[in-house]
Amino acid sequence: MASSLVISTTTTTITSIATEILNRQLSDGQNLPPPPLSQTWQVILNTFIHHFLKFLNLLNKIPGGPVVLRYIKSSYQNDPIRSLFEYCLFIFALTYFFTSKKKENKSEIVKFSSKEIDELCNEWEPEPLVKEVINLQEWQLKSIPEIVGQNQFNLKKIIINNNTYNDEKQSIKNFASQDFLNLNENQRIKDAAEVEIKYAGVGACGPPNFYGTQDVHVRVEEDLAEFLDSEQAIIYGQDYVTAGSVIPAFLKRGDLCVVDRNVNNAVQKALIVSRADIEWFDHNDMDHLNQILTQLKPVLDKQKPIKRRFIVTEGLFANSGDIVNLPKIVELKNKFKYRLFLDESLSIGTLGITGKGVAEHFNIPRAEISITIGSMANSFASSGGFCVGVSSMVHHQRISSNAYVFSASLPPYSAKVTSQAIKVIKENIDSRTGQSKLMTTLHKITNYTYQTLSRSSNTNLNCYFDIVSSPQSPMIHLQLKETYREKLNLPLLYGNSSFITTGKPSQYPNKFDEYFNLECFLLQKVIDLILTKSNILLTRSKIILEHEDLPVLPPHLLINLSASVTKSDIDMLVESLDAVVYSIFKNIQAENDLINLTNEILNY
Amino acid sequence: MPEVFTRTIPNAPEDDRPLEIISDHEYGKLTSDEYLYTSKHPVGEPFLKPEEGEPTYIIYLATYLNFLLLIIIGHIRDFFGKIFKPKEYEDLIEIDGYAPWYDGFESFYVRRLKMRIDDCFARPIHGAPGRFIKCFNRKRDGKYGYLYDGTSRECLNLSSYNYLGFAQSSGTCTDFALDCLKYGTSACASRLHLGTDLHKKCERVIADFVGKEDAIIVSQGYGTNANFFMSIADSKTLIISDELNHASIRFGIRLSGAIVKVFKHNDMKSLEKLIRDQIAQGQPKTHRPWKKIIIAVEGLYSMEGNMCDLPELIRIKDKYKCYLFVDEAHSIGALGPNGKGICDYFQVDPNDVDVLMGTLTKSFGATGGYIAGSQELIDKLRLDYITQGYSESVPPPVLGQMISSLSVINGDLNPGEGKERLQRIAFNSRYLRLGLKRLGFIVYGADDSPVIPLLIYLPGKMPGLSRSLYDLGIAIVVVSYPATPLLSARARLCLSSAITKEDLDDLLIKLSDVGDQFFLKYNSKKLPIEQVLSTLVEDCKKTNLDF
Ligand SMILES: Cc1ncc(COP(=O)(O)O)c(C=O)c1O
Repeated sequence: MASSLVISTTTTTITSIATEILNRQLSDGQNLPPPPLSQTWQVILNTFIHHFLKFLNLLNKIPGGPVVLRYIKSSYQNDPIRSLFEYCLFIFALTYFFTSKKKENKSEIVKFSSKEIDELCNEWEPEPLVKEVINLQEWQLKSIPEIVGQNQFNLKKIIINNNTYNDEKQSIKNFASQDFLNLNENQRIKDAAEVEIKYAGVGACGPPNFYGTQDVHVRVEEDLAEFLDSEQAIIYGQDYVTAGSVIPAFLKRGDLCVVDRNVNNAVQKALIVSRADIEWFDHNDMDHLNQILTQLKPVLDKQKPIKRRFIVTEGLFANSGDIVNLPKIVELKNKFKYRLFLDESLSIGTLGITGKGVAEHFNIPRAEISITIGSMANSFASSGGFCVGVSSMVHHQRISSNAYVFSASLPPYSAKVTSQAIKVIKENIDSRTGQSKLMTTLHKITNYTYQTLSRSSNTNLNCYFDIVSSPQSPMIHLQLKETYREKLNLPLLYGNSSFITTGKPSQYPNKFDEYFNLECFLLQKVIDLILTKSNILLTRSKIILEHEDLPVLPPHLLINLSASVTKSDIDMLVESLDAVVYSIFKNIQAENDLINLTNEILNY
Repeated sequence: MPEVFTRTIPNAPEDDRPLEIISDHEYGKLTSDEYLYTSKHPVGEPFLKPEEGEPTYIIYLATYLNFLLLIIIGHIRDFFGKIFKPKEYEDLIEIDGYAPWYDGFESFYVRRLKMRIDDCFARPIHGAPGRFIKCFNRKRDGKYGYLYDGTSRECLNLSSYNYLGFAQSSGTCTDFALDCLKYGTSACASRLHLGTDLHKKCERVIADFVGKEDAIIVSQGYGTNANFFMSIADSKTLIISDELNHASIRFGIRLSGAIVKVFKHNDMKSLEKLIRDQIAQGQPKTHRPWKKIIIAVEGLYSMEGNMCDLPELIRIKDKYKCYLFVDEAHSIGALGPNGKGICDYFQVDPNDVDVLMGTLTKSFGATGGYIAGSQELIDKLRLDYITQGYSESVPPPVLGQMISSLSVINGDLNPGEGKERLQRIAFNSRYLRLGLKRLGFIVYGADDSPVIPLLIYLPGKMPGLSRSLYDLGIAIVVVSYPATPLLSARARLCLSSAITKEDLDDLLIKLSDVGDQFFLKYNSKKLPIEQVLSTLVEDCKKTNLDF
């Protein structure tokens, strides 16, 4: 690269002289003695011209070359200045082409001799690949529950923190799984899986575009599209990568998205990768959204050609369990001409009378949502993610969406399981109300649980916890009450807000936060105690604080409901939760009590 | 019988052949002990760049012209298409104040080049993609559509990533996977929320298999890489990445926010120079020393068919105190005397590599990826790796397939079967590679690689090759720019233990014919097919696969 630079500068300075010599060469075609010039110039010039003529000769031999040669000659004869200009342009293009590879700022590079570099290399001491898990965090490792046997509602045996919980007489009720419709235990689903594995084996052994698409994959895409009333569907091998692959396929640098401040981690990462411009609106705050869209309008009206614009939000929020205000968003998006991207990973299969997600919940046609993504690993008891929408959008993903193109297809049996799950959900639809029986069961128990939880007789629960999720969400989020958190001097939010304030995500992962750790531990104590006392397995939101790019809500105690939960299960759960909460929280009434838990953490 | 065409893909036809025949078509029986080989790199010998033939420059020129022509015609068609068939271009223009889904410029290549040969891609199949693969017959109908007549063709399978032939619908592993259905069809929670004993067991089996202290599993190979790097790197880390690294690695690095430098594919000299310069210069602007430097490479490059120079990489990383990440997606199972991947092949201690990543999608007939490393690393990742917290964990039948296939390779299950699989893939790879070389084809990659890229160069020949082989009952993958460099469009042949030597003979004969027909034998040296086949078995077992 450096040499091409040198050549180009010398050549431009000597062009004028070269012109003259070339003049003769081209018009006469024979060597005349060169004009008197200083020695060095002459050498350079001679070699240059020599090579140039050789090049011209070569040109003559290549097919099509004579045409170029004739062009050079004629242009030169007609107008030497133009020819000179063209020549300079050519050189410029060449140098530009060769130097355009990203080059560091030259002035920044310090020159070292090889010996100095050796020394620097010897001196350099890198940090370890990862920092060890600190002892304050080790309890988190130990608290990952390990079920012995199937992940189902009635568990026989479970291991947490090296303690084995199994009661001969009574099963452990599992409120930690995300199998909302309890299809993971459904024999017909298992049978479908068995038939498919016996037909096609387990893995698909190839990306969809290279012999990885099987009949069952196409079937499940058709089934999903039909189930969600949209033109086409596309499936992905994992739910988490879906957002990260779909969003960057459509949102490029210069495009705009207006995003809810509380979106889940998958969407956060997707937005970072897309490099689109981002505006944030307060969580589910439609006035704020309206205000932002109004402010942006004058600028966007001038845009030519117009860029893609999206409103990005979630159906049922993973972080807080509340439901998007879809009717208002749809109204706004149509008014301001935005498209809507909706992550329905948790809402499809849990909301709506036939499980079709928030769109059905609010009675809004699916067509209003330009891109819907979802997960097959929750309610459908399968694996993978999917995206539905209009054909041209889906078709574009088949060639431009990273996780679709560069990864093997979903195992065929998983595709089959999803198809079967959709069939089961659609069965037994009440002809009068249009409700699916399975969904009704889930909705009823969800409703009952919220009622029971918010009864005024649960004095302790009410004293320490707020229910923050929407009353339709089968994932119930319980957050420590603000007044209580204040008393313990716990912050309102964790993490950092750099993404929101500066528009750029923080360059470093969030640091370990002691209070966050303590608060999580407090919830774990509840989980452990209620498991010991009443054979009930709850869970908590397991936020990986380090990699959250948005401000993080306090940790939540989670109760995941499923269609097989009965009212008596709920009665028992609420009653014992109330007691457990009392026995744990009565001793923790000030910041110091909280900090004293550190000892317990270390000995967990 | 009048043919009935449908626009949707038909259901898989019933297969009423006896189980014996079906399983033989998924995994062919070994016909002679002659056809076995053990592949490993001689310890201490340098890893040489494999010799790759070069076509005459006319071919390069023709390739350029080929592209030029396609691009010019594409633009002409775009120009007139927009005027005369505006309906077909609706996707590219603003409608009612909404920007198009994608740009015309960005999609030009796909619309105007790929769409012309769309039938060579995404052929739908049914059944296990073993020794033979059953593709639905179809013909094009309009721009995107196809018409299916309900029949399918059984093709010799050189397209699936099925190195050890575990893509089977019956047998030890399938039975084991079916048995795991008692754990359900799905994990229904992230690993951090809930695991099962099966997950734990699988992690243990993988860690032991690759020779690391512990391992973590993820439900997809792509997702493993795409979300991994942010757990080990931040903006003060330098990641040095091979220019041909897989998209998932590049995506993961981009997400981590680390600074990336790219070195020329497999060029250890330029890598060393880059590291020296970078340590000396430090971070941009501030010139502070880097926090750490991570070298990211793949064990076996699936488009090139060659391996990384692991011994040299380890020397460099030790000398300069860097960390080494090796993606074993294609090498695990497929390479080494014990199938334990690139470390096994080069006989180096797996503990010399800091992070071993791999997928079980390719050799083991399962799906998903793993990260294996020291206890310290894995413990940290369990809490810090976002796929552990936010994504589904691996479903039970897949865990079953992972555990059983690894146990077969280990010899813990069905002793002898694993060994045979390993030796068959090693033999098959060398046999086909040498055969192709001698026939005059230009192939890339290392002798022992089970991936054989066969160079086509001219993109115009891709559909011809793909279609004629399909008609002859052979399924291959053709790729060109942007998946490969502009000039080197290629067919990729992925071998499998499931394929027999007789299949390969048949393949060589057919390929030889087709190669003549399409002028694909670019090498000046070539032998007639009879002569090639006569000595191939002995010759392919010699140390060097010279012409
Ligand atoms: C090097 C490499 N890494 C990762 C992957 C992704 O693996 P999977 O197909 O299991 O998602 C691939 C697959 O093509 C690959 O070649």
